[in-house]
Amino acid sequence: MGDVALLFDEYAARWARGERPDAREYLARAGEGEVELRELLDRFLTASLPGEPSDDEIAAMQAWAAGQPPLLELRVRRGLRRAEVVDELVTRLGLAAGAREKVGAYYHRLETGLLDPRGVSGRVFEALGSLLAARVDELAAWRPPPAPAPAVYLRAPEPDLPVAAPTAGAPPEPRDEVDELFEGHAAT
Amino acid sequence: MHDARDAEDIRLLAANDHATLLATYYPVVLERCRLRLPDPDAWEVAQRVALRLLSELRRGKEYPVPFRVVVQMVTTWTIKEFFARPRTDPWPEELDLPAPDPYDDFETDHDLRLLFGDLPERARHVLELRYLEGYDHEEIARRLGIERNAVDQALHRGHIRLRELVGG
Repeated sequence: MGDVALLFDEYAARWARGERPDAREYLARAGEGEVELRELLDRFLTASLPGEPSDDEIAAMQAWAAGQPPLLELRVRRGLRRAEVVDELVTRLGLAAGAREKVGAYYHRLETGLLDPRGVSGRVFEALGSLLAARVDELAAWRPPPAPAPAVYLRAPEPDLPVAAPTAGAPPEPRDEVDELFEGHAAT
Repeated sequence: MHDARDAEDIRLLAANDHATLLATYYPVVLERCRLRLPDPDAWEVAQRVALRLLSELRRGKEYPVPFRVVVQMVTTWTIKEFFARPRTDPWPEELDLPAPDPYDDFETDHDLRLLFGDLPERARHVLELRYLEGYDHEEIARRLGIERNAVDQALHRGHIRLRELVGG
């Protein structure tokens, strides 16, 4: 068999065994045969049988379908409080203890789908991935679906709340290492 | 030929277990997207597929073909759409799948066993053990009582067949 055939054979057998080989690693190894291998793999994946989903995968999909963030669901399934994850994150990223509050705010946004994961450093995902035993970058990329049926709530008049004074004149705080880790890789 | 899978999908559809259905197919949808797109875009397109399917399932849409075929068709269509249109375009209201045609080869296209259906029986067995079960070459030779060389030849035939199908 030629290189493309060997790569296809290895990939397809691993997929059939229930592994999740990264097709792009195989495409990168195919050299000039990349286009042919891509079409072969696509054909294979289109015709192959899917494996059984794990309990984590089903729970993540249930959460997403219910409008809940899959990453939050995973953390709860692992029995971890947000504060514990943040503490671990600070340690694993080698940050100073003083960065904890800021990391916590970023993590909260990431977990609830309010932070674009494209801007987040691979180091953050690596640390979270080893802590939660999952592909956290994939989970953080989920956006909530439309609700199944709109809930009808009786809206009470909102109380008068104080409004913060505009801060337009205040100079922006300088960016630090934590900003770079969570927003420094912003995609176009 | 994917009878057991189709039966399970029918059961999940009847039980409205949309999450398990989507979780079953999401890895293959994402992997197909990754073949053609970098990660942020692949995630986005895979999620569009999931959203499309979830919306249809919630509306109780009934499909004229097995659900696994629907998933693959929606995936193909969504990837094409991603390349063809600005990302901000609204979703079309309905994805109309054609009525099943007895002469259509949709079933063949979505079933690995049928893709290799016109190969000799032994070659088909080798290909099934390798690409449906994931056995290594030596184990296949042992199970079928054939030489390792014969396994390689069968895989070579299968590869040629696949190349023909993709126009290679």
